[in-house]
Amino acid sequence: MNPFAYVQPRTFDEAAAALAEKRFSLPMLKAGGMDVVDHLKEGLIQPDALVNIKRLRSQPDGAPIAEAGGKVRIEATATMAEIAASDVVKRLAPVLGLSVGTAASPQVRNIGTAAGNLLQRPRCWYYRHEQFDCLKKGGSTCYSIEGENKFHAIFGGGPCHIVHPSNLAPALMVCNGVVHIVGSDRKSLPIAQLFHGPDQGIRSEHVLKPGEVITHITCDAAPRSGFYAIKEKQSFDWPLVAASVSLELDGAKIRSARVCAGAVAPIPWDLPKVEEALKGVSVDDDAALRRACDVAGDGAKPMTDNAYKVRLLPVAVRRATLIAAGRKTEVDA
Amino acid sequence: MKPLDEATLIPSHMPTTNRPSNMGASVNDNASRLDAVPKVTGSAKYGKDYHLPNSLYIVFIRCPWGAADFVSADEAAAKATPGVVEMQVRGKSCTYHGQSIGYIAADSPRAAKRALRALAPKWKRTPVKTQISDTVKDNPDIGDDGQNNMNGAEVTHEAVYTTPVQTHSSLETHGGAVDHRGDRATVYASTQGTSSSRDGLGGPLGLGQGDFELVCEYVGGGFGSKLGGPGKELTTAAQLAAKYKRPAYMFCNRSEEHLDTGNRPSSRTLARIGFKKDGSPVGGEIRTWGGTGVAGGGGGASIPSGRYKLGEIKKLHDDVSFNGGGPRAFRAPGHPQAAFAEELMLDEVAAKLGMDPLALRMKLAGGEHRKMFEAGAKLIGWSNRKPNGSQNSALRTGYGAGAAGWGSAGPGGAAEVVIARDGSVESRTGTQDIGTGQRTGMGIVTADALGIPLKYVSVKIGRSTLPPGPGSGGSVTTPTTAPTMTAVAKAAKTQLLELLATQANAKPDEFSIKDGVVLRNGEKYLTWEEACGKLPNDGITANKGKGERGDGHSNGVQFVKLDVDTETGVIHLRHVVAIQSCGRVICRKTAESQIIGGVIQGLSFALFENKLLDRNTGAMVNDNFESYKILGPGDMPHIEPVLWSKGQSGFKALGEPPTIPTAGATACALFNAIGRPVRDLPLTPDKVLAALAAGQGGAA
Ligand SMILES: Cc1cc2nc3c(=O)[nH]c(=O)nc-3n(C[C@H](O)[C@H](O)[C@H](O)COP(=O)(O)OP(=O)(O)OC[C@H]3O[C@@H](n4cnc5c(N)ncnc54)[C@H](O)[C@@H]3O)c2cc1C
Ligand code: SF4
Repeated sequence: MNPFAYVQPRTFDEAAAALAEKRFSLPMLKAGGMDVVDHLKEGLIQPDALVNIKRLRSQPDGAPIAEAGGKVRIEATATMAEIAASDVVKRLAPVLGLSVGTAASPQVRNIGTAAGNLLQRPRCWYYRHEQFDCLKKGGSTCYSIEGENKFHAIFGGGPCHIVHPSNLAPALMVCNGVVHIVGSDRKSLPIAQLFHGPDQGIRSEHVLKPGEVITHITCDAAPRSGFYAIKEKQSFDWPLVAASVSLELDGAKIRSARVCAGAVAPIPWDLPKVEEALKGVSVDDDAALRRACDVAGDGAKPMTDNAYKVRLLPVAVRRATLIAAGRKTEVDA
Repeated sequence: MKPLDEATLIPSHMPTTNRPSNMGASVNDNASRLDAVPKVTGSAKYGKDYHLPNSLYIVFIRCPWGAADFVSADEAAAKATPGVVEMQVRGKSCTYHGQSIGYIAADSPRAAKRALRALAPKWKRTPVKTQISDTVKDNPDIGDDGQNNMNGAEVTHEAVYTTPVQTHSSLETHGGAVDHRGDRATVYASTQGTSSSRDGLGGPLGLGQGDFELVCEYVGGGFGSKLGGPGKELTTAAQLAAKYKRPAYMFCNRSEEHLDTGNRPSSRTLARIGFKKDGSPVGGEIRTWGGTGVAGGGGGASIPSGRYKLGEIKKLHDDVSFNGGGPRAFRAPGHPQAAFAEELMLDEVAAKLGMDPLALRMKLAGGEHRKMFEAGAKLIGWSNRKPNGSQNSALRTGYGAGAAGWGSAGPGGAAEVVIARDGSVESRTGTQDIGTGQRTGMGIVTADALGIPLKYVSVKIGRSTLPPGPGSGGSVTTPTTAPTMTAVAKAAKTQLLELLATQANAKPDEFSIKDGVVLRNGEKYLTWEEACGKLPNDGITANKGKGERGDGHSNGVQFVKLDVDTETGVIHLRHVVAIQSCGRVICRKTAESQIIGGVIQGLSFALFENKLLDRNTGAMVNDNFESYKILGPGDMPHIEPVLWSKGQSGFKALGEPPTIPTAGATACALFNAIGRPVRDLPLTPDKVLAALAAGQGGAA
C-alpha cells in the first residue's frame, strides 16, 4: 500500500473541493470504505488522497432516511443496515430495504453506505486479482470468456462480462431513483442514467466524473414493491440472480409493473418484456404469472458455465412479484 | 454408565444445548472449556498474536500462475525500499500458484509488502492442467478381476463420482514468531506437533534443544495441515532470527493459506459393482484417482471403506498431478471423498433394487452400525421419508444416511502431575489443543483420577519443555494422553495417600478421595486443602504410570434431512443427527462440539467448498473467504450430536470420524428429494437444476 493523504471534510461541498485540489493527482472518495480498502489491499488502486465522507450528511442533523413530499430521501452515507431497518422505507419503498437487508453480512451492512453500494466495483475474480491484466484494467483480454464464468453476465456482456454487483441499484431502478450531486454543473441524475455498459467504456461502470460527489438519493414511493435474490449460500454471499419489482395493482390484477434484474448484466438490467407480459395478470393466477415471468430469460446470451442463470431469472422475478403483491412464495410455506 | 436405549433417546426437536446431559456417560457432563474465557475475551495469545518488539517481518515471493517461467524482477528497487533487511530471489520455473521463489525480510510488514511490490517479478506463463479430468478423460475398461467379481450379479451399477480440492481453511494461518536472544530462543508456533516442530528447529535456530522452547498454547485450527515439522514459514523465520539475533515473524495471509499450506486432494471414483436382487453383494471393481496437484502422492481414497459388505472388490488407484499445491493430511484423509462415492453409490443401487436405502445398509453393515442406524432413523424421522423422486412440490424433502468408523491408538506419551501444598494441581503434558478441547480433557481426567473438583487443576500444555506428548493427527491425542494422564494422576494420589497413612500410622488402603474430601474408612477425614497442607514443601510430583487401553471404538452414523428448492436448485439443510461412539466420553460439551464441527465441515464440503483453479492460467480465482465458500450461519441446520456409550470404557478417537459420512449422507438426501443423483461435489444450484432437467428429459 502506498502512502496517501487522508482528508476529512466537514461538508459534501468541502469533499468536492478536496477532490478538485491541484496537489492531488488521484484523490478518491471513501464512504464506508469496504470496497475502497479491498482495492487498496489487492493493489488495484494507488490513490494519493482519500477523502473520507463516511459521516457527512447533506442536511444538518438529517436522519439517514426521511420522507420528503411523498418521496423517499436517503442520505448518500446512510448505511445498508439503516435502509433495511427504516420504517419510511418499509412503508414507502420496501424493495429498497429488502434488497440490502440480506446482502452480505451484518458487519458489511453496518458499514456499507448507499452511494458506496451503488458505485462499488465489480466482483469479477479476474478483475479482483492483480496478476490478471484484463480489459477492465487496461489489458487486452477478458479472461472470463474462456475461463471461469459461472457468476458472469448473461445479458449485455462484451467485451467485458461483469455483472453489476449492487443490490440497491436495481431496487432504485424500479422506484425511479435519482442521485443528487455536488461538484459539477449537473445537480442530479436519474439512476437509469448513472450506469453504462462496457460498450460505453470498459474501465468504469458509471458516468460520474472525477470530482462529483453523491450527496443523497431520492425515489418515488413504491409501496407495492419486492425483491428476491437466489444465492448459493444463505449468508455472506452474492446473488446468482436477483430481481426487483414494483407493481401497481387493481386488487390482484397487475395494472403496471417495473422489473429490473441484478447480477445478470454489467448494469442493472431492465426487463421491459416481462413488464409488458405482466400487465393484466392476476398475481393469484399461478399459471399466468409463470407464463409472464418466463420471458425474463429471453434474449439472454449465456457464457460457457452460466446458462443456469437463465433458468433462475424467471423464478426470481416471479417470487419478487409475489412479495411485492404481499403474497407468499411457494417456498415460504 | 447407563447404556443408550430407546427409552432415553433424545427428542430430536430439542436444541443441542438444552438437551439433558448424555445419560451420565461422560466423565464430566457440565464442564465448559477451561480456556473459554481467554478465547472469547481475546486474552488467549495464539502464535500469530506475537508481534515482538524489533521483529523482522518476512513475506514469501510467490508465483501468481499455475505454471510460469521466472523472467526478471527489479531486485534493486526492492532492496532500496526503506526497511528492507534481506532478500532472496531464486528465479526458476514454477508449477503452481503460490509456489515460493524466495522471501523478503524487513523491519515492518508494510516495508516487506512495499518491497514485494517494488520487486514486481515478471513471469512467462506456460500451459497448465488444473484438475484430474485434464488427464483422466475416459473410463478405462473393467479388468478381468473386476469382471469376474461381478459374475452372478443380477443388478449392476456403474458411475463416476468426483469431489473437488478442499482447503483446510484454518482461521489461524500457518507460520510462527521467533524470539531469538543470541544463546536462547522462544518460538511461538501454530502447530499440531509441539515435539515434532521442536525437533526440526534446532538447526535453523543454531541452538541445542535445551536452549530454546517452543510455545503453542493455542492453535486456531489445523485439521491436519499443521502436522509434522516446523514447515517452511516457521523454518525461514527461525533462520533469519538466528542470523540477525532478533525476533522474526512469518505468517501466511489468507490467500497464501489457500494456495500453499496443503489441502484435501480432489478425487474421482469409478465404481462398477453388482448385487443380487435381494440386496446381497456380489462384487466388482472400484478405481479411484486422487488429484494431488504437484505432489507425487497422497491422493488415496478409502473406498471400499470396509463398513459395508460389498463382495469381492478389485481396487485400483492412481494419483494424478496437475498445477496446484500438494495435499496434506486433512481430517480423516481419504475418507469423506470416498464416503461421498460409497454412500451415494449405495443409494443408487438401492433405488435400482427397489429397496429402502437404509434397509440395504442394514443388510450390508456390521452389528453396531446397524444398531446406530436404527436409533438414528428414529431421531431423524426416517419413517417420513418418501420414495426417491416421488414428490412434485416446489420444495422437496430428502433423507440420507451414512456411516463412519475409525481405529484407535493405545496409551502413550508422557505426563506429569504436581500436587502443591496449597491444594492446587498441575497437569502437564507437551501436547497442543488445536481447538478440540485437549486442555479441558487433561484437566478433567486429572481431577477425576484424584477425586477432586476440576477447579483445583491447572493444565499446562503446548510447550516443548513439558513431558512430550503426541502430535495431533489420526485422532490419537486423547486416546494416547488421557489414559497416561489418568495413570499418572492416580500415581500422585497413591503417593499422597501413602504419606497421609504414614503420618497417621495407618494403612494406605484406609484412605480414599471423593469430591475433594479425603475419607478414612469411608468417613470424612480431611478436606483436600488440609490434606495437601500436610505435604512436604515441594509437594508431590508424579510422572510414572501406565495407561490402560480399555474397551471401546469409534463408530458413527449420520442422518441428513434437507429441503431442495427445485425451482432454484438451492438446498436448505434442516436437520442432522450424528451418532458417534468414542470410548468413554471425557467432557460432554467438547465431545459434542467435535461432532458438530465435523458435521459442519462435512456439510460445507458437500455444498460449497471448491478450490477453483482458472482452467487457462492455473491461478486460484477464489483464494479468499468470499468466493471460497464455507457453510455460514444462514445455511446451518439443527445439528444433533448423540454420544453412543454402549460398551465403551477406554478413551477412543473422536476428532476425525464425525466428518466422514456427512457429505455422502447429504448427497443421498438430495437424491432422495429430487430422484436424480448429483455425483459431483459441491452440490451447487446449477448442478441440482441440471440433474432435475435431465430427469425431465426422461434419461435413465
Ligand atoms: C463478502 C461480501 C459480500 C457482499 N455482498 C453484497 C451483496 O450481496 N450485494 C451488494 O449490493 N453488496 C454486497 N457487498 C458489497 C458491499 O455492500 C459494498 O462493498 C458496500 O456497500 C460499499 O459501500 P462503502 O460505503 O463501504 O463504499 P466505499 O468502499 O467507501 O466506496 C465504494 C466506491 O464508491 C465511491 N463512493 C462512495 N461514496 C460516494 C459518494 N457519496 N459519491 C461518489 N462516490 C462515492 C468510492 O469512491 C468508491 O469508488 C458485499 C461485500 C462483501 C465483502
Ligand atoms: S469480465 Fe471484465 S473484469 Fe472480468 S476479466 Fe473480463 S474484462 Fe476483466
